[in-house]
Formats: sequence, C-alpha cells, structure tokens
Amino acid sequence: MTDRRLGWLLLAPALAVLGGLTVYPALWVIWLSLQYRIPVFSISRWAGLDHYAFLAVDPRFWSAAWVTAIFTVVSVALECAIGLAIALGLRGQRRARRVALGLLLLAWALPSVVTAKMFEWLYHPAGGLVNFLLGGRLINWLGDPALALPALIAADVWRSTPFVALLCYARLLSIPGELYEAAHVDGAAGLQSFARITWPLVRPLLLVALLFRTLDALRAFDIMFVLTGGGPAGSTETLTVYAYRSLFQTLQVGFGSAIGVVVFALVMLVAVAYLRLIDAEERAT
Amino acid sequence: MTRGPGRPAVSLGGPVVLVLLALSVILSGCRDRPAAGAPVTLVFKHAKILGPADPVPGLLRRFEAKHPGVRVVSEALTWSSDEQHQFYVINLEGGTPPFDVMMLDVIWVPEFARAGWILDLTSFVPPAEREAHFPSAIEPALENGRLWALPWFMNVGLLYYRSDLLARYGFAPPRTYDALIEQVRHIRAREGDPRLDGYLWQGKQYEGGMVNVLEALWANGARLLDEAGRPFPERERARESLAFLRGLIKSGISPAWVTAADEELTRRPFGDGRAIFLRGWPYALDLFELPDSRVRGKVGVTALPRLAHGPVGAASTGGAHLAVSAGTRHPALAVELVRFLTSEMAQRAMTEGAALRPSRPALYHDPALVARDPSLPALLGLTERGHPRPITPYYLMLSTTLQPEFSAVLVGRKSPERAIADASAQIDHLLRAIAP
Repeated sequence: MTDRRLGWLLLAPALAVLGGLTVYPALWVIWLSLQYRIPVFSISRWAGLDHYAFLAVDPRFWSAAWVTAIFTVVSVALECAIGLAIALGLRGQRRARRVALGLLLLAWALPSVVTAKMFEWLYHPAGGLVNFLLGGRLINWLGDPALALPALIAADVWRSTPFVALLCYARLLSIPGELYEAAHVDGAAGLQSFARITWPLVRPLLLVALLFRTLDALRAFDIMFVLTGGGPAGSTETLTVYAYRSLFQTLQVGFGSAIGVVVFALVMLVAVAYLRLIDAEERAT
Repeated sequence: MTRGPGRPAVSLGGPVVLVLLALSVILSGCRDRPAAGAPVTLVFKHAKILGPADPVPGLLRRFEAKHPGVRVVSEALTWSSDEQHQFYVINLEGGTPPFDVMMLDVIWVPEFARAGWILDLTSFVPPAEREAHFPSAIEPALENGRLWALPWFMNVGLLYYRSDLLARYGFAPPRTYDALIEQVRHIRAREGDPRLDGYLWQGKQYEGGMVNVLEALWANGARLLDEAGRPFPERERARESLAFLRGLIKSGISPAWVTAADEELTRRPFGDGRAIFLRGWPYALDLFELPDSRVRGKVGVTALPRLAHGPVGAASTGGAHLAVSAGTRHPALAVELVRFLTSEMAQRAMTEGAALRPSRPALYHDPALVARDPSLPALLGLTERGHPRPITPYYLMLSTTLQPEFSAVLVGRKSPERAIADASAQIDHLLRAIAP
C-alpha cells in the first residue's frame, strides 16, 4: 500500500462522517428548496427557482435579513467591546475576582430560553423592573417596533458578553508581566502599553471570539421566539425565525428550505471572510 | 431550541423522526401485543387541565370500569400551543404515533384530517349526538363533509366591563364600539385616575392577536376569506376594521402596550382594577370572582360590540376537540373513549371540576351547574353568536402569514390598505403552492 493510499484510507472515516453529517443534508436541503413540498398535504412538485424568485421580492424576507444584520452587527460589536473591557477590569481587580468570574459564568450558563423568560418579566410595561428603575415610566419595550429590537439586543448582550469576557481574560492572563514591566521602565504609559502590548496580543483571540459570536448571532432564534415571536410588525423576525415558521409551523418544507439555504450561504460567506482575516493575522505575526 | 439554518429541517428531522420511530416501536411493542387476556392500553394525550379539581383522572377510571380489561394512560402535552402542534406533526408524520386519542386545538382539525392523521368519526357518531353540540363547535371539525373530531370544551370571546363604573355614570353595557369609546372618555375624565386604562385587548403578533383582528373584521361585516378562499372579499370594510383597531391605540382608548399583550398580560391589569373594558375568554370570569380579587362583584360580561356594518357579538369561538389517531390499534375503543369524554356526563364533570365551558348548549341551563356558576345562562347566548375562525386545512399557514401584517397596522408601521395588499399577495403565493 502506498503512503498516498494509506493516507486516504485513514482519512476515510472522517470524510464519511463529514459527508454524512454535513454535505449530504446540505445537498438534500438545496434539493428540497427547488420544490413545492408540503408533505402534510402530499404536495410534491418541481418548483425550480420559484422560491428564490419569490424571496427576491418578498418584503418579509428582506425585512428579516435586515433585522438579522442589525442584530448581528450591533450585538456582536457591543459584546466584544464590553467583554474586553470586563476582561481588562478583571485583570486589574485584586479582590473578589472569583466571585466576579462566578457571576459572569452564571449569565452564560443559563439556558437561553430561561434568559428570555426572565427578560419578558423585566421588560413588562406595567410591572417590570426595567421601567421601575426608570422611574415608573410606561415604556412599551416589546410592543413598540422601534424599541423591541434594541430590547432583544440588550438581552443578548447580557447573555453573551461573558463568553467574550472570559475568552479575553484567559488571553490576558497568559501575557507575561515582564512585558509590561519592561514597557514601564521604557516610560510607556497605560494607554500606550495597551495599544502596543495588550491589543496586538488580544486581537487574534478577539477575532476568534468575533467569529463565534457572529455565527451565533446570525442564527439567533430563542430570544426573539420567546420574547416577541418576531413581532411587533415582524420588527424582530430574523431569518431563522422566518425559516422556523415556514418549516415547522406552516410545514412548507420547500419554501422553508429555500430560506435555510440562503442563511446557510450567508453564514458560510461570513465564516470564510473571518477565516481569511484570522489567517492574515497569523501570517502577520 | 436553536435550530441552525446550516442544519435545517431534514438533518434535524431525520434523526428525531428515527428516534421517535424507535421509541414508538418500543412503546407499541409494550402495549399493543398483549398476551391473551392481558389488558388493552389506550394512550390519551392532552394538555393539563387547570382549575379547582382536575376531573380527567376520575373520568378515565369510570371509562375503565365500563370497559373491563381496558387501561387508559393519560399523558400530558406541553403547555404552549405551538409546541403541541409541533409535537403532533413530528409524531404523526412518523406514521406510528405513540397515542390513540388526542386533544386538538379546534383550528387544527381540518389540517389533521386532510393530512390523514385522524380517523373519520362520521359513521360512529349518530346525528343526535352531533346536534347536541353548538354548530360553531361542530363546523370546524368537518372537512369534506365528514366529521373528524368531537368538541370537548368551548370558548368564546367576551367583553368584560366594570359594572360599578358603568353604573356610577349611568351607562348600559355598550352595543357599539362608538358607545364604548364614548364611555371610556366620559368615565376616565370624571374618575381622574391616570392609571385607569380604557379598553384592553390582545394585539401581540400571535394567534390571539389574529383572533382579535378577525373579531374586528366580523364586527364590521367583513370576512378574511370568501367561499372560494379569496382574501378580503369586503376590502373597504376590512380596511375600516384595521383602521379602527389602530385608532384605539392612537387615541389612547387602549394603552400602547396592547401591541405586545396576550391574554394574561391584559387580564391582570383589569383584575387589579386598572381598566374599564377587557376583551377576554370566559376563564377570566372565575379569576375575577375569587375571594381576594380586587374587582370581585364589579365585573359584568356582554357581547362584543359592533362597528358600522356588522352584528353585535361576532366573537371568535375556540376550545379543544378530541380526535382518534389514524394509527391506533384499537379504533373502536378509542372512538368509544372520545364519545365518552365528550358526553353530557363527562362535560358536566369538566364544567364542575375544571371551570371549563361545555360545548353542549343543554348544560348551560343545568340547574346544578347554574347554581355553581350563575353566569352560564348568559354565556349561552354569547356562545351561540360566536363564529369559528376560517375553516380550512391551511388555517395555520394563513394565520402565521398574516400575523406580521396585522401587527404592522396595530403599531402604525403600515397603513391598513398596504397591509391588506401585502397580505393578499402572500395568501396568493401560499395558495399557488397548494393548488396551482
């Protein structure tokens, strides 16, 4: 047996698993998206690109795409900024660091449906804690299309910031203290040592955190599903919620798959872009 | 709960269906091949019955006593209606569902019938038994002229009002929405309480919001679909209805937060004495009359008012039906169980123990029941005037498609004209997929 052959043989199990679990379902979904298929009513006809043509002019789809984009960009940006700030703060903290870490983990460890239910009560217009803290105003958090998405983003930031914070904190711990001491000796002040030492060393890891969070945010589902059901006026309906409603509630397997394929393509695109960035980063250092 | 779009339905559904299939094979193996003389087991799937005393276990024991050798196992469904539907779809599509008798939301019956998931009950149910139920409870259980389920209990939309406040200012319960608005303005001006809201209803983007919009359409003599399934046959009236709902919010007759409100979010403030009118289901009545309720003895119920072109009391009906799974191994016994649980005797027990409203008009004058709940005779007339929601196998598709459009009108994102046009385009796309 040649080395080449042996190589393929050894790769075969991994390829088979990957093919069976990823490639095959992906192809199957693309195939489904080319059909009118509603199994409940034994409807199964060729649709070609009809679903995609409809999506191209479907205002609900574009609204969902827009909501997904805003949700992703804003929540991920906030999570990374606040997460890094928390990590820096934790490093400087002398006392109760463990308690702070524990509290951070608590938010991250709660199942997201529980988080969502908790925020439902916090946002309650008449009796919720948020309005109470704002002086008893009757702010209609989840019922006003201008406020519902920011309210959901805030909930997601609360839940996901700890992930970024812990990742950054771990990286900060691994930066040797001598670097800072040397900088200090050379006369570098706080901001300068952050820009010249901390930031370059944290940045590659932050990119990885960014990748994970972006992919998660693009596929976000639970928070909007529980808190608003996508409303009001579809103002919090993301692509995944739209896909879920089409697939599982109205059982339009073909149409729902078409939405799924679009999200899939979107996620792949973003992932590839990030991986290139990370690659470039690694080559630069 | 997260369903990654990169791994859509099939990749998830496949394993899930397989696991469920395997489970159902194991379960059916346990129960359906009894040794000679061993008892037959029926599985009854239903949502937990709330209320003072759950009458279901007692009823099932009585059924077992009548049918020696039969055991009925009752299994609870999840609480949320969306999840119940999903549970049924996954199990019934799999072909060997692990249950024989199931509780269905009334709006699913035609869909399940069309999908071939439930047994045709037509030949098992004598005409007299069918006619003992409200027509508005039987109609949604019909598909293709056949009967697929029997009504278990019944709901109807009601207008709750604060009888003390109306009496203080000499008002009778409103018959028109104009009168309702007038009363709200008058009472709020005189009471001078900024925390007293006018009219509460359910405007969230969900099935309950859909019900509220349908009631506004009917109150103005407009329909969602005509006989041929075309949307908004009375377009101008439909426009007026939607504009009316939006106007309630804009004018402050209803607080802005009704756009995110479901039944409980509106029931609580009304129960705390913070609103004059409430659109609700009958269950709220019992809660308002509890000993520690702040509005005890101050609440009245009446028919939903009308708009310019419609009738008074055009309320939506709701409730639960019982059906038999097409995959059952004991069809005759399962049908017996459905008939038993929907019988007059069982519905009386349900009304007594669980504070649910029966689907049999006769029980609304039953002296023992009326003694316990004096509101029953009044509810009879209100229930008789109720409408079922559009009866079509595609109802859930329709409702899910339309909810964001209607919600957009309520929050002022779209004009009623625009929402009706967009909704019609989507309904057309849906129906093209179903029947080219």
